[in-house]
Amino acid sequence: MGKSYFGIFKMEFKGELQYRAKAISGIATQFFWGLLQIYLYSAFMKSDTINGLTIAQMTSYIWLGQAFFAMRYIVMGKRIGTEITNGNVCYKFVRPINIYNQWYAEGIGQKLASTLLRFLPIIIIAVLLPENLNLHAPTSFVAFVLFFLGLILGLLMSHAISMFAVFLTFKTLSEKGSIGIVSSISNLLSGLIIPLPLLPESIQNVLNYLPFRFISDLPFRLYIGNVGINEGLIYLAIGFAWLIVLILLGKFLINTALKKAVIQGG
Amino acid sequence: MASIIDFTGICKNFKVPERNTGRFSMFKNFFMRKHKIINALKNVTFSIEEGDIVGYIGPNGAGKSTTIKIMSGILTPSSGTCIIDGLVPWQNRKNFVKNIGVVFGQRSQLWWDVPVIDSFELLKDIYKIPNEQFKETLEILNKSLNLSELLGRPLRQLSLGQKMKCELAGSLLHRPKILFLDEPTIGLDAVTKLAVRDFIKYINQTWHTTIILTTHDMSDIEALTNKIILIGKGQILYQGSFDNIKNKYSSIKTIEIEFAKEYDSIELEGYETIEHNKKFATLKNLPTTEFHTKNFVNQISEKYEIVDFQVTSLGVDEILAKLYKEYKL
Repeated sequence: MGKSYFGIFKMEFKGELQYRAKAISGIATQFFWGLLQIYLYSAFMKSDTINGLTIAQMTSYIWLGQAFFAMRYIVMGKRIGTEITNGNVCYKFVRPINIYNQWYAEGIGQKLASTLLRFLPIIIIAVLLPENLNLHAPTSFVAFVLFFLGLILGLLMSHAISMFAVFLTFKTLSEKGSIGIVSSISNLLSGLIIPLPLLPESIQNVLNYLPFRFISDLPFRLYIGNVGINEGLIYLAIGFAWLIVLILLGKFLINTALKKAVIQGG
Repeated sequence: MASIIDFTGICKNFKVPERNTGRFSMFKNFFMRKHKIINALKNVTFSIEEGDIVGYIGPNGAGKSTTIKIMSGILTPSSGTCIIDGLVPWQNRKNFVKNIGVVFGQRSQLWWDVPVIDSFELLKDIYKIPNEQFKETLEILNKSLNLSELLGRPLRQLSLGQKMKCELAGSLLHRPKILFLDEPTIGLDAVTKLAVRDFIKYINQTWHTTIILTTHDMSDIEALTNKIILIGKGQILYQGSFDNIKNKYSSIKTIEIEFAKEYDSIELEGYETIEHNKKFATLKNLPTTEFHTKNFVNQISEKYEIVDFQVTSLGVDEILAKLYKEYKL
């Protein structure tokens, strides 16, 4: 059963690995964007800390965010949108496997491959940068393990949320519009636009419990030690609970949409 | 032989937004959207026997693809019952699709960026095909379609004909009982078309696969099918052997003639001149005239000096057009 989904995952992974130029330009963008953000927020931070976050922690947070940008971003998957709008999706129906799971596996494969192609060069450069601009080591080994768990949760969560854009595409037949709605909500609330630790505490108190911050905020805060080990474990548990809820909800919505789907033309 | 596909009283209605044209209509449509119901299939009933090759024909928009989509479990009909191999396609979809293969001639089911063999391996996992069977099947497909050179290359590098061969192979890896082919020869060159046709025949004979194909290509129908189902405007117009229809209309011939010199007009008793351009003309025999090559040559040689001529029977489109006239559609 799981073998076929893993096969789909592998296929997308392999496909994505072929696009080296795309990865190189991605690395360059992420690198300059990271520097820009660090300069920008350093200039805004009057004192050395903001909400208990030091400048060193902030730079690490930003570099990690840039290094793992490909998995934080909301994308449906390379072909899903066109597949739905041009009707190629009909081939998904004639396979003896679950349609949501197929798409989910595809998306995860693509995201993981593009992340793996990009993260290492950015991490290496960020570590080698001069003081005040560089990426620091994790606070402890346990923190690093939790960071890693958080990354896996983040990858799974980001695509569980992306799947709502797939649902909207089914309803509206507009790939760009659907991605636009889901990604603008998700990017703002997940800390992709403004790092969450820089927001007022009252807002953070709400966002900490919404599913979005698990995409990118939590793993990086675990790394820099801004969220402690015990607290982190509780958050990870909340995150995985959200993941299950969102996947079940996504499955339900997509199944109802599929029942009403009409595939037109030859 | 037992019937494997039973279609009884299938109707399919689509609800589409109605667009008015004219001034302010865009604005009006934005706020008040009217819908109209389109009946794509009206009370469609037919049955197909195991091991048959059935040609499903009709003009564009007749409801061919809709029927194929209902048969393959992609669409749910508005009413009616459909039993295929003992199952209802749109209930328990996963179980049903294990036994069918589908090729939509204008779409692709294989992965674009990776070598074809990788796609096949994935299909093997998806359909849970045992190793031994997979190897054996691939061997057979390889031999009859000449795939060996193509398997290692990514799909995007293949030509249309090569792609179609791979699509066909991909749809047969799990040895489905029923194969749906939606315009499998569209856009193919003559050689590939023949290869694809031979292959379809071969599969039907070796595995006793029931094959339903839609096409606009008369020669596909002639070469492959032993039964046709003709659909027009959502209704079944005819089902039965193709020869019956052909015999009915084959008495009407189109004759293209090349003359030795230019004539002002071509007139021949019992024939109708459809086109005349200097040395060339196209004639058609009237329904009252029975065409005999010898008689025709004698008759025309008396009046005109001819160099060459060619006789063709009515094409499928003309036959269809005649049929529609007959059914007042």
